[in-house]
Amino acid sequence: MVRPASKNELLPGTLEMLILQTLTRGAMHGYGIAQHIQEMSDEVLQVEEGSLYPALQRLLVKGWVKGEWGTSDNNRRARYYTLTSAGKKQLGIEAENFDRMIRAIARVMQTA
Amino acid sequence: MARLAEFWRRVVFYFQRSRMDRELAEEMRDHLERKAAKNAARGMTREEAVDAAQRQLGNSTLQQEQSRLAWGFPVLESWLQDLRFGLRVLRKAPGFSAIAILTLALGLGATTAIFSIVNAIVLRPLPYKDSERLVTLWTNSPQFPDFNLAESKLDFEDIKSQTQAFEAMAMYRTHGMTLSSNGEPERVVTIQVAPGFLEMFGVRPEMGRDIEPDDEQGTSGSVVLLSQGVWRQRFAADPHILGRKLTLDQKLFTVVGVLPRGFDFPDRDAFLVPLDLSVDEQQRRGYRFFRVLGRLRPGTRLQAAQAELDGIAARLASQYPADDSGIKFQAASLRDDTIGDTRSSLMILLGAVTFLLLIACANVGNLLLAKGTQRQKEISIRSALGCTRVRVVRQLLVESLLLAFLGGAAGLLVAVLGVDGFKALAPGNIPRLNELRVEPAIAWFAFVFASCAGIVCGLAPALHTTRVDLTDALKDRMAAGLPRGPRRFSLRSFLVVFELALALVLLTGSALMVQSLVRTLRVDPGFSTDRLLTAELALPAARYGNQEAAHMFVERLLDQLHARPELSQSAVTNFATLDGMLAMQTFDPGTLGFNEKPTTLEFKSVDPHYFETIGIPLLSGRFFTERDIAAASQVLIVSESLARRYFPGQNPLGKELSLESKRSGSKTRRQIVGVVADVRDVKLRDQARPELYSPLLQQPKIGSLHLYVRARTDNPEQLASSLRQCVWVVDKDMPVTHIESVAAAISQSVAEPRFRTWLLSLFAGAGLALTLIGIYGVISYSVSQRTQEIGVRVALGAPRKKVLGLILGQGLRLALLGAAIGLAGSLALTRVIASELFGVKPADPATLIGVVLSMLGIALLAAYLPARRATRVDPVIALRHE
Repeated sequence: MVRPASKNELLPGTLEMLILQTLTRGAMHGYGIAQHIQEMSDEVLQVEEGSLYPALQRLLVKGWVKGEWGTSDNNRRARYYTLTSAGKKQLGIEAENFDRMIRAIARVMQTA
Repeated sequence: MARLAEFWRRVVFYFQRSRMDRELAEEMRDHLERKAAKNAARGMTREEAVDAAQRQLGNSTLQQEQSRLAWGFPVLESWLQDLRFGLRVLRKAPGFSAIAILTLALGLGATTAIFSIVNAIVLRPLPYKDSERLVTLWTNSPQFPDFNLAESKLDFEDIKSQTQAFEAMAMYRTHGMTLSSNGEPERVVTIQVAPGFLEMFGVRPEMGRDIEPDDEQGTSGSVVLLSQGVWRQRFAADPHILGRKLTLDQKLFTVVGVLPRGFDFPDRDAFLVPLDLSVDEQQRRGYRFFRVLGRLRPGTRLQAAQAELDGIAARLASQYPADDSGIKFQAASLRDDTIGDTRSSLMILLGAVTFLLLIACANVGNLLLAKGTQRQKEISIRSALGCTRVRVVRQLLVESLLLAFLGGAAGLLVAVLGVDGFKALAPGNIPRLNELRVEPAIAWFAFVFASCAGIVCGLAPALHTTRVDLTDALKDRMAAGLPRGPRRFSLRSFLVVFELALALVLLTGSALMVQSLVRTLRVDPGFSTDRLLTAELALPAARYGNQEAAHMFVERLLDQLHARPELSQSAVTNFATLDGMLAMQTFDPGTLGFNEKPTTLEFKSVDPHYFETIGIPLLSGRFFTERDIAAASQVLIVSESLARRYFPGQNPLGKELSLESKRSGSKTRRQIVGVVADVRDVKLRDQARPELYSPLLQQPKIGSLHLYVRARTDNPEQLASSLRQCVWVVDKDMPVTHIESVAAAISQSVAEPRFRTWLLSLFAGAGLALTLIGIYGVISYSVSQRTQEIGVRVALGAPRKKVLGLILGQGLRLALLGAAIGLAGSLALTRVIASELFGVKPADPATLIGVVLSMLGIALLAAYLPARRATRVDPVIALRHE
């Protein structure tokens, strides 16, 4: 009954890496993470914002991020996500993989 | 480690689902508000801002759904969901579930029980070390055609010294002895064994020692080993039993050992004593009274051993033509020998129960199909909501597997109860009953089979029902149903025809068996069993070895019996009637001028009142009298068939027959003084054989006596005690055994066929009941499908009778087709049981017609109930219906 219907233009699996990368700056809530990714990519990466949440749940289960409820700047309750040490390690692995893949693609594009 | 932690987090999240859900919703709502606020700040109106935020967020329901998947165990959960739903479906239709589960339980339970029985008795090796190498020998001698004889000591010793195929051989014989040192005198089973008997089975005494070559049965007594059962039951498992003295047949025996538990060859409750051979038995080759066991050398096949035995037999025949001319030794594996005729009975039952299982499966499949069809609408709705076909099929499969599991569990219960029942009710002559139980492996197999049956029974309907055209099904039933017209030959009809055919074969088989049994019991044995009682005595050789003592005992016993007012008639004989045993006498028709080989005749010694007591009429001549004693001239009474066979067209009275004495080898001539009617006194199913009678008091040795008394009253206990008193007045140490009415003994003689017939009929009845349910289900369903059509017919003026005929006709068509196929199957299959039948042919037309007609009648009855419902269809309601 469940059909994966993510329409974001990201390469598969990269959303989670982007979230982890974003969280290296410190604790953030979901909205903040979405805004950050869009701004940093100069609005190129049009993340369907809602798909952020299932991704965050997966990261929680994996133990790569932690979620804690706190009070936000405008005095509203919000869940703040922080990177765990396992998450940092995972980010390192994914960044490296990603890097290798980008370089491989780039090489193909240059030689062709 | 990381995986374990993740698993743990999943568990924690799973149990906090509702909180997690609330928090996620709150988070996303917060996100929307922030986004809307930002959009508004960019100059949108309030509504535009909210709409845009919603658009940017995407399908929030779907996202929450995906989030939930991350928390628990999605695959497992969806199966659990199916399971929960399945249970709910089963609970909501208790009638359907109960019938399906009971059907499966019945089919599976009966099959598991019978298969357990076949496995324990036929398939499993005997519970002894290297038991597949154990072989037993029989002798066939032209002197006693058609009989399997035991071995003589001299032949045995020659075989043993010449054989290469056997690594060990031992003699034994089963014997009865009177135990008189342990309370009232009792007859017990003793096995006389040669040293090495126990080693054949790889068995050592649990306590004490084995029988050794020095342990001969002298006059001063000998040694005895007790089986575990005897030690426990008769001697209360006395730990100090070794060294105790027992009196068996007036001789002292010292207990030297106790056999281990589980050793039950050839009897569970036995006393093992050393062989005790008479002079004749030691010296005469024709004295074939010893059973022989052999252990094949590893790697030697039974055929090789048989070839070697054939060679030995040929050599012995030429060496000792007087005794061994034409003899053959037959080697049979001990297991086959132990199982005997039970194998064919059990195989018939296994075949029958397999049919029952097939019927049960077809029935469950049918029920599931019906259920699936009823749920078509539900399935269409699920599909329309995006449920894939795989998921729907899976859901239906889970449901049928659930049924199969419940049915399987109930079936195991049926199997265990069935096996216990079999043990309790089976006649005593079925071998290896004590080894019988439901093996775990068989139980597992039954479960696996149930699951497979569940998948097969569930898959066909699942695929069938899910192959629906969505729009068609969701539209009116009217539109979906009518254009196709009356349903064609459906899968369900096919299953019902299949069931009918199988049930018909079962019914035919059981009807034939029942008739055989009835005809067996209707056989006139040639004598009257009315209030006739029998009892057995064994005359120990120590006390009655000489002729005078034995004859004195007989005379005094008869005096006692005749003096009893409650007994109208009494007689004694040396052989029982209808216990399957017969006394044989070799007879050479050549002495009467016939050009025929020597043959065997039945030979019984009786007292003067025997014929009158059991009611055998005298045809000519005279009965024996008190004057026919050893010293008088030797006389004979012959049966009618003997007179016809050997004295055709002549008066046999006054003629002489020359009979060879088994004992001395000398020939005695006996004059025929009377002719009596034939009796069937060996087996009811056997034709009466030519039979000879001699006066009991002209018999030099009497080993056992059978009493026959006709009572004036019907009080079995009182009669039994008067019989005992009569015997004990003459000899207080003599046990009186096997006191029973002859009618009961006859009934006992058909116990095995009766039991088998009973079981077969039970299976046939169950198969028939299941088939009825099947027919009823199919016709009911068809009526419900055709409600509108019937409504239209009734509205257009069709009389109720016509509607009734319409539906009944549908049932009849199925029944006729099933009956035709079943009839063909019966004709092919009942030949298998031909050898078990008596007085009726496998293709007995009356039986076949009767079975087919009753089958059709019952099928019509099953169709009648739904048909009557069809006639009550109110056209207004029917046409408004959906």
